[in-house]
Amino acid sequence: MKQVFTALALGTLFVGAPALADAEVGKPAPTFTLKDESGKEHTLAQYKGKVVVLEWTNPECPFVQRHYKNDTMVTTLKGFDAKKVVWLAVDSTAHNTPEKSAAWKKDEGFPYPVLQDASGTVGKSYGAKTTPHMYVIDEQGVVRYAGAIDDDPRGKNAKPANHVKTAVDAVVGGQQVPASTTTPYGCSVKYKS
Amino acid sequence: MTHRQSKRLGFVGGIGLLLVAAVAWADLPASAVASSAPDEGDPRIEGALLVDATQVKPGDTFRVGVRFRLDPGWHVYWKNPGDSGLETEVAWDTPGVTVGPLQWPFPQTFRTPDGFITTHGYDGEAILIADAKAEEGSSTGMLTVSAAVEALVCEVHCIPAELMLTRSIPLGPQTVRDAETAAVFDTELAKVPRPAKDSGHAATLALDAPQLTAGQDFTGTLTLTAPGSAAVPAVEGDFFVADRIAGVVRVGLASDGPGRFKLKGKAEPDAQASAPDLTGVLRLGTAATGYQYLEVTAPLAPMVAAGGAAGTPAAVKPPSVKDSIAAVKPVGAAIATPPAAESSMGLGLALVFAFFGGALLNLMPCVFPVLALKAYGFTRMVQQERGRVGAHAAAYAAGIIGTMLLLASVVLAVRAGGASVGWGFQFQEPLFVAGVCAVLVAFALNLFGVFNVGLDGTALAGKVDQSHGLMHSAGEGVLAVVLATPCSAPLLGTAVGFAFAAGPLTVLAVFTALGLGLALPFCVLVLVPGLAKKLPKPGAWMERFKQVLGFALLATTVWLVWVMGGLAGVDGMARLLAFLVAVGLVTWLYGQGQAQDGMRKLATVAVAAGVLVASGLLTLRFDDQDPVAAPRLGSTVAQAQPWSADAVNAALAAGQPVFIDFTADWCLTCKFNERTVLSTDEVRDAFTKHQVAFFIADWTRRDASITAKLAEHGRAGVPMYLVLSPGAPDKPEVLPELLTPGVVADAVKRAAECAPSKLGNGANVLCAAGFPSH
Repeated sequence: MKQVFTALALGTLFVGAPALADAEVGKPAPTFTLKDESGKEHTLAQYKGKVVVLEWTNPECPFVQRHYKNDTMVTTLKGFDAKKVVWLAVDSTAHNTPEKSAAWKKDEGFPYPVLQDASGTVGKSYGAKTTPHMYVIDEQGVVRYAGAIDDDPRGKNAKPANHVKTAVDAVVGGQQVPASTTTPYGCSVKYKS
Repeated sequence: MTHRQSKRLGFVGGIGLLLVAAVAWADLPASAVASSAPDEGDPRIEGALLVDATQVKPGDTFRVGVRFRLDPGWHVYWKNPGDSGLETEVAWDTPGVTVGPLQWPFPQTFRTPDGFITTHGYDGEAILIADAKAEEGSSTGMLTVSAAVEALVCEVHCIPAELMLTRSIPLGPQTVRDAETAAVFDTELAKVPRPAKDSGHAATLALDAPQLTAGQDFTGTLTLTAPGSAAVPAVEGDFFVADRIAGVVRVGLASDGPGRFKLKGKAEPDAQASAPDLTGVLRLGTAATGYQYLEVTAPLAPMVAAGGAAGTPAAVKPPSVKDSIAAVKPVGAAIATPPAAESSMGLGLALVFAFFGGALLNLMPCVFPVLALKAYGFTRMVQQERGRVGAHAAAYAAGIIGTMLLLASVVLAVRAGGASVGWGFQFQEPLFVAGVCAVLVAFALNLFGVFNVGLDGTALAGKVDQSHGLMHSAGEGVLAVVLATPCSAPLLGTAVGFAFAAGPLTVLAVFTALGLGLALPFCVLVLVPGLAKKLPKPGAWMERFKQVLGFALLATTVWLVWVMGGLAGVDGMARLLAFLVAVGLVTWLYGQGQAQDGMRKLATVAVAAGVLVASGLLTLRFDDQDPVAAPRLGSTVAQAQPWSADAVNAALAAGQPVFIDFTADWCLTCKFNERTVLSTDEVRDAFTKHQVAFFIADWTRRDASITAKLAEHGRAGVPMYLVLSPGAPDKPEVLPELLTPGVVADAVKRAAECAPSKLGNGANVLCAAGFPSH
């Protein structure tokens, strides 16, 4: 991050170009090892052979709240073959704790783990900017989709197009993902500063 | 915030609107003020609806604005929010008033302390202003202006805000300005970036690579020149904010001395082939010297889609033995090169394509009238000495190339002006159509012998001035270009598409190559001695033939009058015909004048010129009214629906193959294809059998979304035919520009077989092979 500060001082900053490799469509996904809210460890490698959906989340964000109120994530997950697709939520909020995640999971009643990334290392290695920010990783560990959950930032469409569903269905069916990068929307990830 | 509370702050309906008429807003009606984004009972944003007039006269303009006041540390977002957040939205509900677009003041840039997330917006106080116009003849005594504002208000956490602001303004015999609000608006509008050229600035962008590649970084230099030779002031802080640019993940500028900026950006990994522009706002100056805000627009470079083979078009690659499926493709499809390859071909190849495209133009239906005219010209010229023939050929070529260069410079000028143009665009301009019509009528009357330009008739042979004859040849060259442009021959679209996305010199080079190609066949015919001798001997038949040709030209004007009908309706056609009658009268007067001499001749010519100017001023006023859509001929064409991206997606989602016909009334090749191919029983049966959804994208008038779609496939003009399969919606097949019923039927059959409902295991491999990959 030193470069960024230098750039700031010079008043010549490029638009938010962090000195990190983001998760990029078509490239291998950054590896990670994270504990979930119950203390169980998850690595990307252990899910090789399955399609992995990563959801950057933060229960305090109105965008996330709206999607959980409408059960967007759970409904999307239900539409997939459980043997082929894994869903992992990641919380990179600096002040989040496993207890908070556990309470929220119990409240909302979703089945997937919430990976604890309060240090923000994994979030930044993926370049996760918003909550929700979604990534779809194929069976070989290659990023195949990055961006928004759907095309409806304001929650106004009766029938939003779910980009993650489209992407996972395409990857499972051995097809090209039609729109593999979309602009994510939501609150910014509240990284530790 | 507890979980229970945050639950209540849902997006829909969960937001309490606190209507507060605070003391500080005493001058505003209570309905024009609201606060929202309640944060544990404390609203974080206050909005007010401001109007700079206390009374408005119907027909007058005034200004409306939404003022935001935010708690310290909180902000709302600009039209490109950046890495997160949401654009602030103002929806107007103003019966009897038309409201223009929002004017966005230059935004602030916000960064998280680690610099990882960057957003753009406003904190403290900001006003978004729009121009408004009260409609004439409003009968009510009051105008009601309402604004529904949706904003995302963020500090560390974010709260969605909804504001309903409304107020009434009395109508009156004159507009009474509210000086205080007007002054506030003026101050705020001074911060709104204006197009660079409005203040005499010029921005040029030179990229370090000739093209952008999906997923790759790109760099370049933006040079800004101030009006006159003034120095461009230094910049400070966050001086540049880019708009959202399709296919570009991020782009930024760094100062590199006065007026020079280093550009750095990155293309999206799955960017489509396109020709993106760099658009954004630039702040010159420093806090000490005061700021100047500019809107910058400069073409970047053609984007090469992911997986696009750079260098040579895939169609040129010899098919490998393994590629047996490809051999099943119809021969015609070989012309349809993948768009990615088209956009990425080199300049040399583009010039070759342009040259051959130009040569092929001679065979296109729209050049036929000119060809006929030239055939007559040949026979006349061959009778003259060899030397003159060479001169005529040169004049003809010069006429063509000169016109091409003129077109190229118009293209560059229009492109610089920000309007997106396409091949054949000049036929979207009514005045241009009228001009061409007038030239054709004048030519026809000349052929009938109403007047002469001192270039034919043996009686005048002694008096013929060299330059007149050559001028005529040059004029024929000009006419050839003008009539050829609406039809893009195969490959021509590619070359022009390439040119439109490239630098100015490339555009000039490609247009020159086009012109050379168009002129070559004629010049060869004339200059090769053996060929010239084979042409028929002159005689009385020539005079008759000439008159017959006059009718051919008049027939061409009928087509142009019909084009005008598409542009300006029945009234426009009538105006054009009236003008053409005047043109006839003028040529006749001129012809009379030629028989006279001295002062009388001058007077006659002056009267002729006067009539021409007066009638032009009287009749050539075309407003863009919507013409009544004429029912199209041809049963297949009649069942078509107007093209829109949503409708296409809906059809694909329903499992239907899609055929899109990009066409225009002034494009004879398009009409030819529609009448002779798309209306045949074979095509109709294929469409019915495979349940093809048939869309027409009509480009008769300028249409930005169609222009963009054409550019996406590396084309700058019509016709273009796309076949999309529900099984591979992201891989459209581009059909050749000269269709045959077989090509169309095969393409839709392939698309239908590719539908997901018919896919067995592993069949998708076969599916993809039928479609050029991006």
